[in-house]
Amino acid sequence: MNRFIECVGVGKIYPGKTGPVEALRGIDFICEAGSFVCLLGRSGCGKSTLLQLMAGLEKPSSGQIAVAGRELDGPSPEAAIVFQDHGLFPWMTVQKNVEFNMKARGVPAGQRRDRARKFIDMTGLTGFGDRYPHELSGGMRQRVGIARALTTDPKALLMDEPFGALDAQTRGRLQDELLQIWETQRTTVLFVTHSIDEALLLADRILVFTPRPGKIAADIKVDLPRPRTQQSDDFTALARELRGLIGAERDFD
Amino acid sequence: MQLRRALGLMPLALLLIAWEVAVQLKVYPPVLLPAPEKVALVFVNDTATVLDHALSSVARVLVGIGLSFIVAVPLGLMIGRYRLLDMLTDWSIQIFRSVPPISLIPLAILFLGIGDKPAIALIFLSGLWPLLINTIFGVRGIERTLIKVARAARAGEFLVMKDIILPASLPAIFTGLRLAVGAGWLTVVTAEMIAVKSGLGYMILNAQLTFRSDLIFAGIIVIGAIGLLADQLVRIARGRVCRWQEGLTATNE
Repeated sequence: MNRFIECVGVGKIYPGKTGPVEALRGIDFICEAGSFVCLLGRSGCGKSTLLQLMAGLEKPSSGQIAVAGRELDGPSPEAAIVFQDHGLFPWMTVQKNVEFNMKARGVPAGQRRDRARKFIDMTGLTGFGDRYPHELSGGMRQRVGIARALTTDPKALLMDEPFGALDAQTRGRLQDELLQIWETQRTTVLFVTHSIDEALLLADRILVFTPRPGKIAADIKVDLPRPRTQQSDDFTALARELRGLIGAERDFD
Repeated sequence: MQLRRALGLMPLALLLIAWEVAVQLKVYPPVLLPAPEKVALVFVNDTATVLDHALSSVARVLVGIGLSFIVAVPLGLMIGRYRLLDMLTDWSIQIFRSVPPISLIPLAILFLGIGDKPAIALIFLSGLWPLLINTIFGVRGIERTLIKVARAARAGEFLVMKDIILPASLPAIFTGLRLAVGAGWLTVVTAEMIAVKSGLGYMILNAQLTFRSDLIFAGIIVIGAIGLLADQLVRIARGRVCRWQEGLTATNE
């Protein structure tokens, strides 16, 4: 197996107004290359914090994180992030937004344009290159965010509740498309969600987080055959188990 | 749009009627309060005088506010971006912006003599603070996710400034420019009453000395009209440059 991301004893403490807040404690976990891992938990359980740490956007207060064999010191060139609120630049067209990550790496303009078009087509945005983000639906905006992340051929996609703000139908469609991308590009995906069903539909492996302080309460392998449906008995059994683990009365979807 | 124009002109028409009535009732002798039609004649008989002085005033404001723009926008972007610069300059900005530029006329004349230099220096100062403060405000208002996107893409500082901080701050910069042009226009007229021998301020003051009250009224009308025109121009420019903002804000100007 190929260790792609390694966390050893990772903790994060934020200085709060009423004293320090421990967001994460003692996170040990190894993510294999090419796997689809969901970080599942209720809000405030530290799952997004861990993603920010693995993205190199924040430093852990204790422990180490290594990506692709190198200890993190700032954002890794091997990983790309997709944010929940999509993080598109409102003053740039779809085309320019998708080009941005390449521009940051100094890819020449012509090459940038062609490559951005390729990913715009791939994410079903053909013909929308000249539009501005505010002219798009929520689902399309998130497609732009995903297209932008893919342009630099990242070995890992770090996704922070990317479909959290979408309606159920759009969400379902984007989940299918993401799985297709994952299968064709062979990227590693780390996916933060608070939805049990979403985690079970997508992941090879689910890390269940519990709050105060945020820690991994369970590490569950999901062997359900793909494509998955919510209707199977195995699915409902696993869902029930996960519900018990995150301590929710019901799936808050 | 037509309704807007009709409503906008209504109070001005009423004012004109009240003026005519006051003249008819001889509230003041005609030497002090000239009839509207007599003032209108100024624009026919003294076109060159009025135009010359108006152009001098406009040129001074263009140079002065142009200088404040060149200084305030880059400086504001840096102060907004770097915490240390902000801590270094915050108090000074608050102190100096509270000093009315008019109160600096004596100093300006002492140090810069009589002529364009002191006038432009004062216009520069009156435009500097609104531009600076609004630019800083604009940088502060940037969505945090967008900065994270740039960091995750490992974008260089220059690219961040040019492609993210500057465009994100443009709406606020234009608000600052509107205020600066207004403040500069107020200052130029006052400065011209003291420091120079041309411009609308000088023309009005000189007209008082020669008992040309019709010229005084004409001067005031021109000052107001140019003020309105300048404001409209900045608004139109803002609409052009910040087109991406359409649909993002609740009120469309």
